[in-house]
Amino acid sequence: MEIDSATNGNSDAVMTESTATITPSPVVVPSSRSNQFTESLKLEHQLLRVPFEHYKKTIRTNHRSFEKEVSTIVNGVGELADSDWSKDVTVSRLTSLVTRLQGLKRKLEEGSNVENLQAQRCRARIDHLDSVDVENITEWNNTKLKRILVDYMLRMSYFETATKLSESSNILDLVDIDIFREAKKVIDALKNREVASALAWCADNKTRLKKSKSKFEFQLRLQEFIELVRVDTADSYQKAIQYARKHLASWGATHMNELQHVLATLAFKSTTECLKYKVLFEPQQWNILVDQFKQEFCKLYGMTMEPLLNIYLQAGLSALKTPYGFEEGCTKEDPLSQENFRKLALPLPFSKQHHSKLVCYISKELMDTENPPQVLPNGYVYSTKALKEMAEKNGGTITCPRTGLVCNYTELVKAYIS
Amino acid sequence: MELKNVKDAFDRVAKKQKLCYSKTQEVVDRLSQEINKALDTIHEDNHESVVADLKKTFEEISPINQLEASQKEVNGALTKYPKALDKTLNPDISTAYRNIEFDRHTVHQIIAQFFYRQGMYEIGDSFVSEIGEPELVESSVTKAFMEMNMILEAMGKRDLGPALKWVASNSEKIKEAKSDLELKLHSLHFLEIAKDKNSKEAINYARKHFAAYSDSCLPEIQKLMCSLLWNRNLVKSPYSDFLSPVLWTNAAKELTRQYCKLLGESSESPLSVTVAAGSQVLPTFLKYLTVMPEKRQEWQTMKQLLVPVELSEEYRFYSVFVCPVSKEHSSEDNPPMRLGCGHVLCKQSINRMSRNGSRSFKCPYCPTDIDASQCKQLYF
Repeated sequence: MEIDSATNGNSDAVMTESTATITPSPVVVPSSRSNQFTESLKLEHQLLRVPFEHYKKTIRTNHRSFEKEVSTIVNGVGELADSDWSKDVTVSRLTSLVTRLQGLKRKLEEGSNVENLQAQRCRARIDHLDSVDVENITEWNNTKLKRILVDYMLRMSYFETATKLSESSNILDLVDIDIFREAKKVIDALKNREVASALAWCADNKTRLKKSKSKFEFQLRLQEFIELVRVDTADSYQKAIQYARKHLASWGATHMNELQHVLATLAFKSTTECLKYKVLFEPQQWNILVDQFKQEFCKLYGMTMEPLLNIYLQAGLSALKTPYGFEEGCTKEDPLSQENFRKLALPLPFSKQHHSKLVCYISKELMDTENPPQVLPNGYVYSTKALKEMAEKNGGTITCPRTGLVCNYTELVKAYIS
Repeated sequence: MELKNVKDAFDRVAKKQKLCYSKTQEVVDRLSQEINKALDTIHEDNHESVVADLKKTFEEISPINQLEASQKEVNGALTKYPKALDKTLNPDISTAYRNIEFDRHTVHQIIAQFFYRQGMYEIGDSFVSEIGEPELVESSVTKAFMEMNMILEAMGKRDLGPALKWVASNSEKIKEAKSDLELKLHSLHFLEIAKDKNSKEAINYARKHFAAYSDSCLPEIQKLMCSLLWNRNLVKSPYSDFLSPVLWTNAAKELTRQYCKLLGESSESPLSVTVAAGSQVLPTFLKYLTVMPEKRQEWQTMKQLLVPVELSEEYRFYSVFVCPVSKEHSSEDNPPMRLGCGHVLCKQSINRMSRNGSRSFKCPYCPTDIDASQCKQLYF
């Protein structure tokens, strides 16, 4: 809604001056629609990052194994030269090295195939981001919502729905089902109170976890220690102490307090009523480990900590939340007219808008430059179209539907809304 | 958006990786060759010296160094790509997240309703069974949308039968809503008949169905009839627009709107609306918090958004007056006031500019001098 353009240049200057004293808001919000869309594409970091982390991991693992194999073979030749085997043995050793090299070559090829597939996936996602334009924007947004839903399903381990949804919507390349399957193994094991696969995962990602100063492995070890204390047999304490020496002592430098806390369970047993220690023996601890694993996992792959759905829902609900949405008889088009959405929006802030939007009380039509607002002598405002129609029907008189005031069409004045 | 940086950075990774792969292959081939060569000569020669030579050759090739060198290049590219991503995209969109947990049951209900509403019954069923709440969605809601989805699906296959049938049986209500849905569908059907080159039938159809709209949509009907002249080659006619699939999408949209209106439901899924609104405003949130990191704490507790958002028209459902000076929403305490010149500001802004009515001030939009006592409250 613009006032006539002649006054516009003027308005900008005044507005910046006055906002500076009233509400400091240095953020320039992009105004055009396409600009807004470009901005929202920038939210897709996770879409590009996750497959790349996967790709990178594969590359690194492959490198390491190739390098190891090559060095074994080089060493094999070295050893052969330094020892004095008979000719026959030497020949058979050399032949087996050749076979090994052939095996390595095969592995190289397999590895390269996997890498290429993963690289393709990374590219497909870049292309998907690049493909959006005015024509396909509705469809693109539908796909986005589905991607967000699949992300939610995967984080909640609803694999069946996630798979069905991505297959039927043809978005398998845009979601990370395979990556989450890797997580599922660990989660399932933890739910069964087994730490082995979680520890293996930690070993697999040792450098990265160390870099982010993760203490997840420490927490797994602590839990294993607790389980040894829980057993409560003659030699279990011995075992627990041995275990602590082997696996926990090294964390003492950085996590002494927690270490002391947990080791004190040796004195308290699993039946303790002392709250501080009792809690360590509760089954709930395993669920905490599951949550912690999920966090570490997301961090490692460059995902957001929260499901995308929650982030978008929260932002959207705050943007849409108005006092009107909670009134009886508000429009059905407003998601906040629905009980479920109201419930979620309750702890969220109300929206704040940039521009006025006025709807005519009589015709429910937008009052803009096409259909500008007009003011009755009593200050009530209706759209020109509605008032004109009323005046034509009633010989030029207007009756205010809310106050009953009767006036002449000629008494109306314009109001300029910016 | 400028994705070139990202693309280039990724191309570099892929290229270096390919190079590294062929290098590794080369090294492996070379090692095989050397061992095979040694095996060839070993029968004639002193095997000890052959192996010693082989060892020496291997040392000269120094395969590990070669591999490490090419991996180093890959690693360089691998660290650069995430940096390019961070630069082009928002590295963490959860910065603007308020730390409250949604009630899971409510979220699940919303998701399940979405699936059923969109006609994704199988996925909806799979979802409610996987979360272990098969009774999550009332079947009445599901059934209500079932017919609509059937009609839309048929329209997707260019079959207007079910749509026309539904419109015919709800004709009165649709007319009341001032919707042109009926004409839209009849036009599409007319064009389909005409497309099969059956002008006579098309004319008969038009006579039967278009006459009712002669008052309101005459120009439209004229165009449709005129298009018959080119029905053998509509593409190269002034009416090629009639072939656009947009007509079908628009008709489907209008049908959804009317159907949902009669049902008493919103025409768009509330989940899509909320997520779409979220996509529109999240960039503003993130930018605000990047520019003003000191506001992050307040962000967690604010009662109203700290930064105004720009939602597109379809997501703004109510009359809202935003004072152009203070940017605050009008309220009972701070109502909109019309200045003598016709421009409208909020009461508090007027008070501020007039020093509580003690002096006149210039309208921020035009050169008029304003006396605060002459300003009049408006009711929208």
